[in-house]
This record gives sequence, C-alpha cells and structure tokens, in this order.
Amino acid sequence: MLIGEELSAEITRVVELFQYPFMQRALLGGIFTGLMGGLLGSFTILRQLSFFSDALGHSALLGISLAVLLGLNPTVIVLPFAALFGLGVTYLLEKTNLWTDALLNIIYSSSLALAVITLSFVGQYKGGLNNLLFGDILAVRAVDLWLSSILLLACILFVGLTLRTQMLLTLHEPLAKARGVSVSAQRSAFIVLLSLVVGVSIKAIGVLLVSAFVVIPACAARLMSQTFTHYMLLSAGLGALSAIFGMLLSALFNLPSGPSIVVVQLALFLAAIAVPRFQAAR
Amino acid sequence: MRETVLAVEGLTVYRGTYEAVQDVSFSLEQGTDMAIVGPNGAGKSTLIQAVLGILPRQSGEVTILGQSLSRSGVLPMPVRQQIAYLPQNFLFDRRLPMTVAELVGLGWDQLGLSLPWVGGRARRLAIRQALVQVDATHLMHQPLSGLSGGETKRVLLAYCLVRPRRLLILDEAPAGLDIRNESDFYELLHALKQEQGWAILQISHDLEMVRKTCDRVLCLNRRLLCQGGPDLVLSPDNLATAYGSEFVRYRHQHSEN
Repeated sequence: MLIGEELSAEITRVVELFQYPFMQRALLGGIFTGLMGGLLGSFTILRQLSFFSDALGHSALLGISLAVLLGLNPTVIVLPFAALFGLGVTYLLEKTNLWTDALLNIIYSSSLALAVITLSFVGQYKGGLNNLLFGDILAVRAVDLWLSSILLLACILFVGLTLRTQMLLTLHEPLAKARGVSVSAQRSAFIVLLSLVVGVSIKAIGVLLVSAFVVIPACAARLMSQTFTHYMLLSAGLGALSAIFGMLLSALFNLPSGPSIVVVQLALFLAAIAVPRFQAAR
Repeated sequence: MRETVLAVEGLTVYRGTYEAVQDVSFSLEQGTDMAIVGPNGAGKSTLIQAVLGILPRQSGEVTILGQSLSRSGVLPMPVRQQIAYLPQNFLFDRRLPMTVAELVGLGWDQLGLSLPWVGGRARRLAIRQALVQVDATHLMHQPLSGLSGGETKRVLLAYCLVRPRRLLILDEAPAGLDIRNESDFYELLHALKQEQGWAILQISHDLEMVRKTCDRVLCLNRRLLCQGGPDLVLSPDNLATAYGSEFVRYRHQHSEN
C-alpha cells in the first residue's frame, strides 16, 4: 500500500512538474532536437561523418567564447559561426586529402584549446563553462523553440525534397555524378544544415553530448531496419522518443536532462542489439 | 539518316599531370553498339568518365543529344535522364540499409526537387518490369548487402533499364557474370538496340564478343588508334599496334586450338 501511495505521489509530482512552461519548453525542445538529430544523423553515420558533429560542437564552443569576449549575444553568433565553420572544414577535407577522422580530430581539439584560452580572458562568464559543456535544457526559451522549429522544418523539406538524390549520393558518388548531381553543392548544403542543427542544440544539450543525438538513434535504427526509408524515419522517431523518455527519467529521479536523454538513447541502442526480433539486418 | 546521340571532338583528359586521353574524336548514332578496346591503362574508363562529366576534361567538346556538356560537367536534366551508366567497380558500403527495389527505383527518379511519394504506382511497376528483364524479381526485397557480384551486376543493369533511355554507357559490364548470364546480357543489349534504338557505348576486354555483337569499335591507347567495323579494327595488324605483337601471336595460337 505504502509503495502504491508513494508511486502515485511521484506521478502527481511529475505531472505537476510538466505543468510549468519551462518544462514544456524543455520537452518540446528535446523532441525537436531529437527529430532533427535523428533525421540528419541517419545520413551522417552512413557518410562516415559521425566525428563531424563532435568537431562542430567544439567549434560552437569557440564561437560562443568569442561572442562572450567581444560582448555579443552568443545565440546570434553561434549559428553563422557554425555554418561557416562547417563549410571551412568541408573545404579542408577536400583540399588536403587527409583521413577524415584525423583531420576532424585536429579541428576539435584545437577548437577546444582556442575556446578555453578565449574564455580565460573573459574571466567570470555568467553562463559558466559547465553549462556550455553539458547544456541546460531547462533554460530553453520561446525564441530558441522558434529557431529549432524553423530549422526542423528546413531539415524535413531538404531531406524530403531531395531524398532520392541524397540516397544515391550516399550509395555511390560516381553514379550520382553520372546522373548530373552536383556533389559538392549537395554536400555543402547538408553540412550547413547539420552545422545549424548542432549550433541550435548546443544550448540545451551542451558541447560534449550533442553528437550523441546525431549518432546513437541512427545506429539503433540501422540495427532494426532493412529499407532506407524505414531506417531514416525510425532514426528520427527514436530521437524524439528518447527525448520524451529522457525528460521523464530526468523529472522522476531529478537527474540532469541532457545526460538522461542520452542514457535513454543508449538503452534503445542496447535493446536493438540484444533483442534478436528487432534485428532486421544481419 | 540515323540521329547522332553522342559526338566527341578532340577530347583530352588529364589524370594529375598525366595525359590519359589525347585528342579523341568519334560519334555514336542511335541503334548502334560501339565497343572501346585497348590494353590496361589505355584511358578507356577515363574517356567514358569524361564523356559523362564525372571527370573534368582539359580540352575538346562532348555533345549528347544535341546538348553540349559544359566544362563543369553540367547537362540539362532531360538529357541526363536519357543516359544510363554502369560503372566497372561498384564498390559501396555493405552496411548501408537499402533493398534492391530501392536501388532500382533510384534509376527511375528524376533527381530534382520532388516529393518522395511522387510516381507511386508507375514507379513500382517500372521497378518490377526492370527486374523481370534481368531475371531478378526474386531479389526485389533483398538487402544490397547480401548480393553476390553477379547479382549486383544484374540489379545495376535493372537500375539502368528502369526507364527508356537513348544512351547506355557500360564499363566492362559483364565482368562477374557467369557464361549463361553473360549471353543473356548480350541478348538483352541486342534487343534494346534493335527494338528501342538505344545507342550503346561499352568498354570490353572480350574481343570475341566484340567481334560478334558490336557494330563499331574504337581502339584506344591514350590516342585513338583506329575506329570502324570490328573486322577492320580487330585485324591482327591493328591489334598488334594496340596491344603489342606478342599479344596477337598468343591470341592466334589460341583461336586455332
């Protein structure tokens, strides 16, 4: 009896918690980020750009630190900074002909180094390095939600309208070129979109965890699907689902929100490995 | 008078600093099957990749169905839609989640901006018919990851056939097919050429097959050594120029046995 009462008290508490606008915004923000990360992530991992989101996260940190140093609004600076940075990295990858993972490693470690040095000049930044590294999903404002909903729409339109081109490009580049696909334009458009998604998500999830949203749901979806369309939709769906359950987990046990969502993503991934019935792919 | 599908004029292509194709000119009419022969490293793949705009060219002009291929490899989309290309090495990441039907469907799609469900029924029908043509309907819902080399070739051919085209470009297409599938393959090419007037440009190492099935032959060794009917181009003298005299002596001993 006592356990039953405790449980219902807990549920009442969580339900009440989600009455607060800040919790609703956090939940909605989490779902948007999960959908965007999952959707673009499904292409990102197949194109072996998983590290790219990591590098972008670290570069966003550099963007934010520079904005703080110069006394500008970090939210306004971080998006164009991320987009330009993404294009710069793409250019570098094409230009140097080095291994992608090695080059991305150079970029993210040096971004981090430069960011920390920049922050050391700022002295006491009120947001705090901790918030930048791990994010604060409860600090999501209405304007952030607007930004991410516009971006989500852009992602859906982009992937929806160029789906076949993206599929062919992911499968075999020469085949796509022979069909008249402008590979570098498509690649740049995708990278810019991915950079913006990472840039928008930094505030809620933080520099260190943002790549999980791109990589983990997509990998779980890959284990559970045979067809490309199914895989892509499932990846976006798992991204959203883990945001919902992650937020609940966080509210129930009073855990930090971003890491809770990532833990749920991990649980889904492990379930996809463990439950053979899920495993469409061999 | 047959319509010219492909015209190449003075084409020169560099790979790095190396001049892989020098000043090559030829033209291909509809309903014609043309083979490109020549030793390894003769620039055969380079030539067709430059024709398709996959590789940039140093100089020369490429005209397909009356439209010239721009320096940066751009052709109007309606012309692109008339061309199918089957590459020599179709290396892809086998971890990619995609079924045979999805791949063949990509050959049907117009790759501009369009809603993913456009086409629906007509698209599905075309996929099924293309797979019937290459005798691979049983593979329809298989993942690409499980296909053998020969099955992959057949599925790629279905990707080319899923829409009517005017020009089919094959880079050593039958490599990897067994003998029965290879003869089916040549029969299919013959039917496409005769019945639908496709122009076919193919790289081949099988000189006997070229002699039997092709209308015209280009003999390439960086430069165009000669072109014409198979009996002319594949004469011992011309072969000796392209491949070296040792090769011709070897081949003659074999065909006498």
